[in-house]
Amino acid sequence: MSHNDRVLVEVRNLKKYFPIQRGIILQRQVGSVKAVDDVSFNIIKGETLGLVGETGCGKTTVGRTILRLYEPTSGSIIFDGVDLASLEDKELRRMRRRMQMIFQDPYASLNPRMTVGSIIASPLEVHHFASGKKKRERVQELLQMVGLNPEFVNRYPHEFSGGQRQRIGIARALALNPDLIICDEPISSLDVSIQAQIVNLLEELQEQLGLTYLFIAHDLSMVRHISDRMAVMYLGKIVELADRDEIYLQPLHPYTQALMSAVPLPDPDASKRRERIILEGDIPSPANPPPGCNFHTRCRYAEEICISEDPEFREIKAGHFVACHFAERFQIQ
Amino acid sequence: MQALLEIKNLKTRFHTDEGVVKAVNGVSYALQPGEILGVVGESGCGKSVHALSVMRLIPTPPGEIAEGEIIFEGRDLLTLSKDGMRQIRGRDIAMVFQDPMTSLNPVYTVGFQIIEALTLHLGLDHNQARKRAAELLSMVGIPQAEKRLDDYPHQFSGGMRQRAMIAMALSCAPKLLIADEPTTALDVTIQAQIVDLVKSLQKEFGMAVMWITHDLGVVAELAQMINVMYAGYIVERGNVREIYYQTRHPYTIGLLGSLPRLDEAPGARLYSIPGLPPDLITLPDGCPFAARCPYKVEQCTTDMPPLQPADSPNHLVACWRWKDILEERAQ
Amino acid sequence: MSVYEEVTVVDFAVREHRSLWVDAWRRLISNRTARIGMAIVALFVFSTVFAHFFWKYDPKTDLDYALKLKPPTLIPNEEVPSVHLFGTDKLGRDIFRRVVHGGWNSLRVGLVAVSISLSIGGILGLLAGFYENIRETVPERMALRALVGMALGALNAWIASQWYQALLFAGIGILSVFIREHDKRRRRIMFIMLGILCGAVPGFIAHPMVALVCGTLGALYGLFFSFDIGGKFFSDTVMRFMDIVLAFPSYLLAIAIVAFLGPGLEKGMIAIGVVGIPIYARLARSSVLSVMQKEYILAAQAVGESHGRILFRHIVPNILSPIIVQTTMGLASAILSAAALGFLGLGAIPPEPEWGAMLGDSYRFLASGAWWAVLFPGLAIMLSVLGFNLLGDGLRDALDPKLQI
Repeated sequence: MSHNDRVLVEVRNLKKYFPIQRGIILQRQVGSVKAVDDVSFNIIKGETLGLVGETGCGKTTVGRTILRLYEPTSGSIIFDGVDLASLEDKELRRMRRRMQMIFQDPYASLNPRMTVGSIIASPLEVHHFASGKKKRERVQELLQMVGLNPEFVNRYPHEFSGGQRQRIGIARALALNPDLIICDEPISSLDVSIQAQIVNLLEELQEQLGLTYLFIAHDLSMVRHISDRMAVMYLGKIVELADRDEIYLQPLHPYTQALMSAVPLPDPDASKRRERIILEGDIPSPANPPPGCNFHTRCRYAEEICISEDPEFREIKAGHFVACHFAERFQIQ
Repeated sequence: MQALLEIKNLKTRFHTDEGVVKAVNGVSYALQPGEILGVVGESGCGKSVHALSVMRLIPTPPGEIAEGEIIFEGRDLLTLSKDGMRQIRGRDIAMVFQDPMTSLNPVYTVGFQIIEALTLHLGLDHNQARKRAAELLSMVGIPQAEKRLDDYPHQFSGGMRQRAMIAMALSCAPKLLIADEPTTALDVTIQAQIVDLVKSLQKEFGMAVMWITHDLGVVAELAQMINVMYAGYIVERGNVREIYYQTRHPYTIGLLGSLPRLDEAPGARLYSIPGLPPDLITLPDGCPFAARCPYKVEQCTTDMPPLQPADSPNHLVACWRWKDILEERAQ
Repeated sequence: MSVYEEVTVVDFAVREHRSLWVDAWRRLISNRTARIGMAIVALFVFSTVFAHFFWKYDPKTDLDYALKLKPPTLIPNEEVPSVHLFGTDKLGRDIFRRVVHGGWNSLRVGLVAVSISLSIGGILGLLAGFYENIRETVPERMALRALVGMALGALNAWIASQWYQALLFAGIGILSVFIREHDKRRRRIMFIMLGILCGAVPGFIAHPMVALVCGTLGALYGLFFSFDIGGKFFSDTVMRFMDIVLAFPSYLLAIAIVAFLGPGLEKGMIAIGVVGIPIYARLARSSVLSVMQKEYILAAQAVGESHGRILFRHIVPNILSPIIVQTTMGLASAILSAAALGFLGLGAIPPEPEWGAMLGDSYRFLASGAWWAVLFPGLAIMLSVLGFNLLGDGLRDALDPKLQI
């Protein structure tokens, strides 16, 4: 990952551990949940980087730590040349203009006591972006951009359906003309036919406004659909990162292979044809991850070395990064 | 062959302050013994409500089964007494719910809950029941089943809890297993495990399965027949190949088009169905999908099309214009 | 399938437009128990306010031994020449009049006591819940440590009678925010030295013994400031203190406070108010914690909204419902507590009309058949408490977030 000026965000050795505390009066730390454990990747200007993984793999934590909604335990997040991890409150607040987030739950991400207009105007007010008539115009413009009637400014979130609320959330994220939008499972709580509407809207907005997305989701086929490159996470680590087609045609990490084969296909013949890799067992607890390669407990290729040594996350070929001892072997096959 | 379950013109309503919610609006179909039926639709399409109606688990009030017959092995379940229904529930028809976190009681061990079902329905004594429970748990793929009987639900992971629920459902060898979104709360790799499990158990026990889901992908590899539901109606019904390869109803067409495919070409856009599903309180006259349908004509907004055979006698579609649409799309 | 692209997403059908508060009001008035509660409360408030302003009553001069303990009289006769709806008490005072005027005192006690517990408890709980999860900003940490320093230093200032000692320790507090010594031992030693310096040196001017005491205290304070005193510390301390207050039986605590302050209705109000603080603090904190889990708080942070803005625009409006319910119920329990104190002779000072005190005055005459002297004040207490509780129940149903579709 050579550094060049096309890179918008550079994440280096990012770690986020959540302390596990016991005791009420005298709290002491008895361990930590390694939600994100040494993750490095770049996001290039104008691209969509997909981040897939199962529940508890730390993908949401990565998104929130990049925005400094969580304090990183260590590592750096370089956003357009500035290390966010070391910024003070005031400067951080200024940087927030340039990066926004779309949330998973459209029912919980909008304050039920505020009107749609004041929800969308909030970022404009905080950053003194616009006021008075200009503010009202901007809010209406944003509503129009996300496909809602601009006359709805005085309505409350509960008057809208899930998909419409998600559009309101998108309008709020767009209000300040950000460069980066982190989409944290923006469609997973929506109905199938509404999912497509939202994904299409996100794609259109990206084309119009030149946005950069970090698209976090558990739905592999949707992530592949919207992303240019995608990263697969397992238990706090990125196990594979490559171009969307590369990762589909030649997945090199056994976990990616299994994940790919488990995705249900809306095509009876194709799903009969393909080979299914059924992973045994459950995901280990991130408070106590297995030694060595943390996937070895469920991996069908696991050998001695996987238990003793943590595989390096390395570039196997141009732009294709894998963390597996045997990646080269899979590549030849 | 006599159908295992035959539903005739089922209508289920909910009476709320805002008005009458028309959740199921005249659903009719038959389920053969040993058949796997997928019921597909978005939230609020009536797929869960119609299954709960079969189980007679609709909370009354506010719910009410307004009309119809549900004939299970020749008996109309809607005319059975409460006790009669209780005997069928669990023994002949079992149900697995969406949320494995809340469908097991957290204050009892998993073993206790399975054993209770076994002693209640099969009249086994405690030791027999315990042995059988351990067998069931190991059958659904829980390692060290004997030991894990004494675990509490919170000691199980989500996937294991769903396995335990399936074990409990299968404890009395039911003739029909109704699975209401059983994998929605689970991750894909765990979902694959559960789907495989149900497939192999179905082969072993030969029971019929009704798999309710919003995911057209899951049922593609699992089901033989599929009902597509929209706003309380079945809009299309057929076998798997007919639904996926000879799609006739514009809603099913749109739904399939709005799914991204793992093997799609780069740069492709998804087809999105515009608008929202109708409000079930103020359902329009005519076809409920008309407002979102690109092919609608005058007739669609005034008369509800009946569910009638399309190209083959078993492929049913509720659309006035399916032939026109077929021609239009062929061009 | 390309047809779908041509149909663009335009307008959707949207549900009827109404705000959540309007919705709640509609649910409230359609609830029968709530309507009964509202009627009782309205009757109570209206009658007592009306009486206070338009039906003059001077308890000091109200006395007529000739009419001592007369039963309810609707038609004046020779023996009882005037109408007494509820009868008269041991001093021949009209009980109806005293019940209506006593309501004014109950209303005052309820409102003042609840305002005390709500404002102090609510604010403490709000802040405790907020800083439980959110890291305080630098100015906030400065303010907190300055306050803590000043509070601790107040003891020194009192001992040495040098007011500026409090300021010195406030200064150490502020300083501790900026001294970034991360080595634990060195930091600890540094602050202990600083503490001794600020305590002992000015103390020495007063007296060598004062220097010793203040120096020791200063060392302790210094040690304290070498730890990470932040929002989480504040939250924990406040809530543990509330737990301690809650550990006392509430009436005993109220009686102890009145005993300390001296009798009187105003003192009673304060006592009842103080006892109620932890209830509101806990309620506010737990409501804040549940709101803080919502993604819109995260969204507000992501936008870069300040802590004050998040508190007042996002958190406060969303915790109002449980607080409103608790306040209504709290009015009932404050009225009841005031009556209890009055009954024990610790509330209103006679001859001030107060329901509890009226009961306390009259229950001895129950044996001699004067049931009316006890029944009517008792009924007044019961009805007003019932009214507020029914209203609170109705409010709970009306404001219940589960019903918000």
